Amino acid sequence: MLDPYILQQLAIGLSLGMIYALMAIGFTLIFGVLNVVNFAHGEVYTIGAFAGLMAISAFGPPLLVVLFIALAAGALAGFGLERMAFRPFRRFSDEASLKSRAMREATLMSSLAMSIIAREAMEMVFGSQFQTVDLAYLINKPIHIGPITIVNGDLIILGVTLLMLGGLQWLLKKSPIGLSIRAVSNNALGAKYCGINTDRTIIITFVIGSAMGALAGILVGLYYGAIFPSMGFTPGIKAFVAMVMGGLSSVPGAVISAIILGLSESLSTSFMPSVWSDMVAYAFLLLTLIFFPQGLFGARRERV
Amino acid sequence: MKLTRRTALLLAAATALTPVAAFAQDSVKLGYQLPLTGNTAQYGQDFKDAAEIALTKFNASGALPVPVEIIYEDSRSDAKEGVTIARKFVDDKEIVGVLGDFTSTVSMAAAQVYKKAGMVQLSQTASHPDFAKISKWQFRNITTQDQEGAVNAQWMMDKGIKKVAVIAEQTDWGQSVAKGFVEPFEAAGGEVVYTEFFNRGLADFRSIITKLEDQAPDAVYTGFFYEDGAQFLKQMAQLDAEIPIYSTSAAYNDQLIELAGEAAEGLLLTATFLPTRMDANVQDFVTEWDKTHDHAPGQFPAQAYDAVNIMLAAVVKAYPDLTRESLRDAVAATSDFPGVTGNTTFDENGEPLKELTKASVVGGVFVEVE
Repeated sequence: MLDPYILQQLAIGLSLGMIYALMAIGFTLIFGVLNVVNFAHGEVYTIGAFAGLMAISAFGPPLLVVLFIALAAGALAGFGLERMAFRPFRRFSDEASLKSRAMREATLMSSLAMSIIAREAMEMVFGSQFQTVDLAYLINKPIHIGPITIVNGDLIILGVTLLMLGGLQWLLKKSPIGLSIRAVSNNALGAKYCGINTDRTIIITFVIGSAMGALAGILVGLYYGAIFPSMGFTPGIKAFVAMVMGGLSSVPGAVISAIILGLSESLSTSFMPSVWSDMVAYAFLLLTLIFFPQGLFGARRERV
Repeated sequence: MKLTRRTALLLAAATALTPVAAFAQDSVKLGYQLPLTGNTAQYGQDFKDAAEIALTKFNASGALPVPVEIIYEDSRSDAKEGVTIARKFVDDKEIVGVLGDFTSTVSMAAAQVYKKAGMVQLSQTASHPDFAKISKWQFRNITTQDQEGAVNAQWMMDKGIKKVAVIAEQTDWGQSVAKGFVEPFEAAGGEVVYTEFFNRGLADFRSIITKLEDQAPDAVYTGFFYEDGAQFLKQMAQLDAEIPIYSTSAAYNDQLIELAGEAAEGLLLTATFLPTRMDANVQDFVTEWDKTHDHAPGQFPAQAYDAVNIMLAAVVKAYPDLTRESLRDAVAATSDFPGVTGNTTFDENGEPLKELTKASVVGGVFVEVE
């Protein structure tokens, strides 16, 4: 049953799943937990990759420094994004506006606009082709474990994902800022009445989530050696599906769903043409919406 | 202006007189439509540079008593623009032949105008299977996948490779790569054990590679451009799949080696042009090109250089009785034209029959395989 072929495909699926999970964590924090519609996360991911790449070609720092530069770039991008695409919609603080669903969901358009502007700007500056990455920085050195092959990047990504997941769970459940994030997402108006600084909470969530997105971008960029302006699009879709499957507000749920997604994609190649493997994600999205409207690891909100 | 009978008569007389004026001309004019601005401007600019090198050399050689001129028009890789330019060229009675366009789409749109008016059109790059079949006026100077596939199939047969996996991108072009190879290969007694198409821009080939390894082929034939190619090669190396990889001229790009590094070593492919080849005409072209560029010419400018030279040779053949009709026949009669992309002969459809060069990546550069 478990011949090397299946084992190898499982290993590939796991590593794909971890890559999706890496992206899904920051995405779920902003979109799911904070409950803010944000479609610019893919570009934050790309900005992280490009910031890391520029650092590498400018002065060739050690990998750890590159990762911190990407984190900083992501935090900055998250702050700018919130300022330009989200805050303008919160300038009315009357009760009707705060409760208005249209007001909240208008950020779908503004964040999409920011993402298009950022992507086109990067294409104008760098061109739309793959950027040349110093091959010494790639995290794709093979490691053989019995009959299967993984790469050092798999271990790095696994470590970073676990760290992010653990850190975020602690932040949300145990720290005061996590308490305010949960309060704002539950009822922004109520949180405000209780004296929580909602603006500050939202900015902090954006900064944390975007920094995580940017870190994911540079890690995946170096994992594949492929850094280009539209690199955030496909992982963005996979992260969205993982988030919905995981029940929107559950970060561990999103991670587990991302792994399920990766495994199914890699195994599906064995049974059907690879051009259909992208369909797996959409099929999961549809099935989740029809049969588990609250997500597999169902939480409190039903609306997607 | 009112259109009186007299103006109409004058116009008619003027039109009738223009061909006479054409005979009295002191230069031969050709049109070249190509993208000089827009998304594909970098290609068009290279074509223009290559054409200028060919033209300067030709006019200095004194093969014709009068100089040849090329009129460049910018099509921006836009089909509508291409048609407008084609009309403009057709209306200019002094222009006897046209080169271009860059993409198949624009070339085929403009081809309808040239077909109607009867003007020879020679594209350096339009590779769509239907382009040269539009009419007797269309020619191209780029090989089709049928030719490359056949050469690769024979190459593998010569090495005793019988079991092959085919991986190509899921596009019209990718399909033609697979078809162009599989038919001659199976006809020669080979076996295709696995065929897979992938979406352009696929990040992760590892599932496909694992499945491919499971089929244990002797070699892989691939249809990809350099970006997907670099990903595929890197992941083949990562999974230690030591299977020889064959590919087409589409993968022939220095960027491939830059992106894939060590993993590109040993890649085998067919190409029509190698700037490192020591033939005198290749080195002439490369030397001239290097005077104004800081990178070696790729395959596309080389094809443009040859296309211009083929057209000029046809002009010489048809001169002094030079009309659009006689130039077309002279182009069609091109046989064994010695260009930098190999010797060119046109078949009855206007397809070039070229000898393809076999190349391999050795020590980080493409070198010819003898």
